[in-house]
Amino acid sequence: MFSKLPTPFIESARQCSFELEELRRIKAPYLYVVSNKTTAFSQVPGVIIKTQDLKEGVKLKLVIKKGIKIKKPIFLCFGVLSGKGKQEIFPEIILEEGAEATILAHCTFPRAKEVLHRMTAKINLKKNARLVYREKHYHGKDFGVKVLANFNIVVEEGAVLENEFVLNQGSVGKLDIVFVAELAKDSLVQVFTRIIGKGQKDRVEVKDKILLNGENSRSLMKFKGAIRGGGQMFFRGEMLAKGKNARGHVDCKEIIVGKSIARSIPMIEVQHPEARITHEASVGKVNQKELETLMTRGLSSKKATDFIISGAIK
Amino acid sequence: MKILKVKNLSVQSKKDKKEILHKVSLEVAPGTLHILIGPNGSGKSTLAYALMGIDRFKVTSGEIVFAGKEITKLSVTARARAGLTLSFQEPAYFEGVTVEDFLKIGRPHIKLEEMEKYLSLVGLDPEKILQRKLDQSLSGGERKRIELASVISMRPKLMILDEPDSGLDIIFYREFYNILQNIKEEIGAAILLITHREEPGFIADEATFLNQGEVICRGNFREVMQKYCQAVNRKKICPHVQ
Repeated sequence: MFSKLPTPFIESARQCSFELEELRRIKAPYLYVVSNKTTAFSQVPGVIIKTQDLKEGVKLKLVIKKGIKIKKPIFLCFGVLSGKGKQEIFPEIILEEGAEATILAHCTFPRAKEVLHRMTAKINLKKNARLVYREKHYHGKDFGVKVLANFNIVVEEGAVLENEFVLNQGSVGKLDIVFVAELAKDSLVQVFTRIIGKGQKDRVEVKDKILLNGENSRSLMKFKGAIRGGGQMFFRGEMLAKGKNARGHVDCKEIIVGKSIARSIPMIEVQHPEARITHEASVGKVNQKELETLMTRGLSSKKATDFIISGAIK
Repeated sequence: MKILKVKNLSVQSKKDKKEILHKVSLEVAPGTLHILIGPNGSGKSTLAYALMGIDRFKVTSGEIVFAGKEITKLSVTARARAGLTLSFQEPAYFEGVTVEDFLKIGRPHIKLEEMEKYLSLVGLDPEKILQRKLDQSLSGGERKRIELASVISMRPKLMILDEPDSGLDIIFYREFYNILQNIKEEIGAAILLITHREEPGFIADEATFLNQGEVICRGNFREVMQKYCQAVNRKKICPHVQ
C-alpha cells in the first residue's frame, strides 16, 4: 500500500510514530496527495472518495455513508517532496448519520526550504456520527514550511469528534491553525494539540474556538506546547457555552526554553445559567526541580530539558 | 580509602549570598551508612545539594573528594556519572513519564528484570507500578519509593538520601530502614542518610551532627544522637539513646 508514496514520506511517517506495518497488515484504506496530484487511493465499501486535482493542490470529498462503521483507520498522506512548492488542500469530510471512522493524516514536507501548505477543511458529523481524526506533521529540519490550516467543523446531535494535531519532530517554520467547531445537542468534541518548536524561525499560532450551542454539549480543549531557541508560540483557546447544561474545559500548558516567547489566552464565555466552562493555563520555563532530579541521574541539562518536554507534550 | 571526603567546606546561597555551611568536614567509607542529623535549618539539605553540585549554592572554600578525585568544580551531571547521586526530600513529579522511563534515565540499557528487582526491593509491586505515570496520581510514599528505586538503578558508589523517611506512615518506618539495609547489602553502595529520626540508628555505621551550618560531632550513632538530643532538648522523643 505504500508503493505510491515517496520514500522520504514513509520515513517521516515512521518518525511521527505512524504504525505503517500495522496499517499494511490490516490493509487500511488510504489516499495520497503529492504536491497537486492525487497519486493513489483505495476504494472502500460505504465510502465515497472524490478528488479533483487543481493547479496548485487538490480538492477532496470523503463521505462515509449512513450507518457505515469503518473499523480500519483511513490513512491520508499529503506532502511536497521538493524543497520549494505550494500545496493547497480542500478536504470536505462528511460522516452521515451513525457513521464511524478513524482518520490518520500525515502532512509531510521533509526537504522543505520554502514550501506553503494551505489546508481549508470542512468536517460535518451528522447525527450520532463518530470521528477520530489524528493529524501528524513533519516539516523537515530547515524551518522552511509555512502551514495555514483552517478547520470548520459542524458536529450535529449526539455526534462525537476526537481531534488531535501533533508536530513534535523536526522544525516547525510558520504554523497557523484556526479550528472552529459548532456543537449541537448531546455532542462531544475533544481537541488535543501538541507542538514542539525548536528554533528562532519557528512561529506557532493556534486559535481554537468551540461553540457549545446545544443542550448537554461537551468539549475538552487541550494545548501542550514547548518552544525553544528564540521561537514564538501563541495559543488562543476560546470556548463559548450557549446550550443548557453545556460543559467545557480549556487547558493550556506551554514551556519555554531560553529567550523564546510563549503566550496563552484562554477565553471562556457562558451564556446559559446552567452551563459551565473551566480553564487552566500555565506558561513558563522547565521546572527546576525536575531538571535537577534528572541531572542527578546523569543527564546533561539539554537532555534533561528534552526529556521533560517530551513527557509534558505527550 | 574513603568514598567521600569533605574538607572544610563553606557554602553560601547564591540567592542572598548568606553563608549556610561553615568549614564542614565529613568522611564516608565505602559500603557504609552514614547518618547526617541535625535540627531544621542546620544545613543538612544544603550540604547534600553542595555535594551534588546543585547550582543554587556556591562553595566558597574547602573541597569535596569523591572516589579519590576532587569534584568540587564538577557539574551535577559529571558527579552523577562518576557514581554520586541524590534522592530529593520531596521528589519531583514528571508529567507523561512512566516509572519504567524514569528508572532508565540513569542506565538506559538496564534490563527489565533488574528494574523489577529494585522496585521489589523498595516494597513496590513491579507489575502494578512499572507503567504508571510519575504524576500526582501516585501517593507520596509510592513516589519516595520510586525515587529510591531510581537512584539504586544507577548502581551508584554513594547515594545521598535527603529525608526519605519524612512524611512516611509511622508503621512503615522500621520496614523502610530494613529496605535501606537491604539496598546497602544488595548494591554495595555507601549511603549518606539525612534524617531527623533516631530509628535508623540500628542500621547506621557512623553519624555526624550538624547544627547552624557547623559539624558539632561525629562518630558512633548512639553518641552522636545523645549529643543531638541534649543540644536540641528533645529528650522525650529520643528515649532509646538516653
